[in-house]
Amino acid sequence: MNIRSMRGRRLLGLIAAVGLHAACAAAPAVGPLYADPAHADLSGLWLVTGGFYFAPDKSVPKLLGEYKTTYARRTEAFAKGVAVDDLTADCLPAGMPHQLTVPYPFELMQTLGRVTFLYEYDSAVRRVPTDGSVAKADPDKVTFFGDSYGHWEGDTLVVDTINVRAETQLDFTGIPHSDALRITERWRRKDAKTLENTITLTDPKAYAEPFTTTRIYQLKPKWKIAEYVCEENNRNARDAQGNTSGGAAQQN
Amino acid sequence: MKHLQLCILLSLAPLVAQAHHSFAIYDSSRQLTIEGTVKEFQWTNPHVWIHVMVKNDKGVEEQWNVECTSVNFLERRGWSRHTFKLGDKVSITLAPLRDGSKGGSFRKVNSINGVEPRFEAEE
Repeated sequence: MNIRSMRGRRLLGLIAAVGLHAACAAAPAVGPLYADPAHADLSGLWLVTGGFYFAPDKSVPKLLGEYKTTYARRTEAFAKGVAVDDLTADCLPAGMPHQLTVPYPFELMQTLGRVTFLYEYDSAVRRVPTDGSVAKADPDKVTFFGDSYGHWEGDTLVVDTINVRAETQLDFTGIPHSDALRITERWRRKDAKTLENTITLTDPKAYAEPFTTTRIYQLKPKWKIAEYVCEENNRNARDAQGNTSGGAAQQN
Repeated sequence: MKHLQLCILLSLAPLVAQAHHSFAIYDSSRQLTIEGTVKEFQWTNPHVWIHVMVKNDKGVEEQWNVECTSVNFLERRGWSRHTFKLGDKVSITLAPLRDGSKGGSFRKVNSINGVEPRFEAEE
């Protein structure tokens, strides 16, 4: 083979590679978590950044009346070394909206008409229909995670959640909400490795005004979701008064 | 060797994941280092526990219970169920229980059988 033909083959190879790349770029990305070519790809394994408070700047909604009192009681007890009303102490779910900021990864799976959050923490799953259905308030059917419904606004996935049990908290500090809480999440891929979620909490019973914070999630392409079974060895269960004193001093 | 070395420091930053059970029982503004022998290593969720027998200043062995984060959290930082073995001599820094009981929230393992362990975290 002479040099000219080698160059020619290389050029052909280059053209073929460019063509293949262009074809790949035009086609929807394929992968086990993404089958929704009509919408921006938010899929992947993500980990929250920005710390364990609900808002990274530690700000708190403007609490009303009894909710203000409840939070004051919880923070006062916490400072004295007692956690009160903490569902997770009994291995109950963190639920919404706390689940949005737990420091464990989740997989976001995006399929036709549904986005599914597969959480490592508590092995929880959140199914978010994006098929045009909407949430209906039902005080008889409140749950830890509530009912979530999504729709797309351009490249942003908007998820509304209602029917959340009043017992869930915003974060480990015990920020309360009522059963009238509405959580609006606006998910958007900022870049290949970054997911942004702007969360607005509206709760006319508990908050004087809507509260908004933005959380950033980092792509963890090499991670796998692991098992997490809280009941295996829980030494932090609450006592009869609902207080968590911890199991550190137990001689077991 | 000093059996119980107490070094109380101001903590620079919280190193624990506080999403699960509250760590309110621990005084995160203080740090203290214990040296002793591993009695038990519970590689479990929601939290991993290290039980360490530490001699007090009268030479009497007392059990200290050290609460770590989760299996999931620690595995990604290079720990495994074999990180501590029964009888290992360890030096561990913790945030102590507020009530003065013998226990704390794990901060750092300084040495295992005299060697500073190296853990490789996942990217």
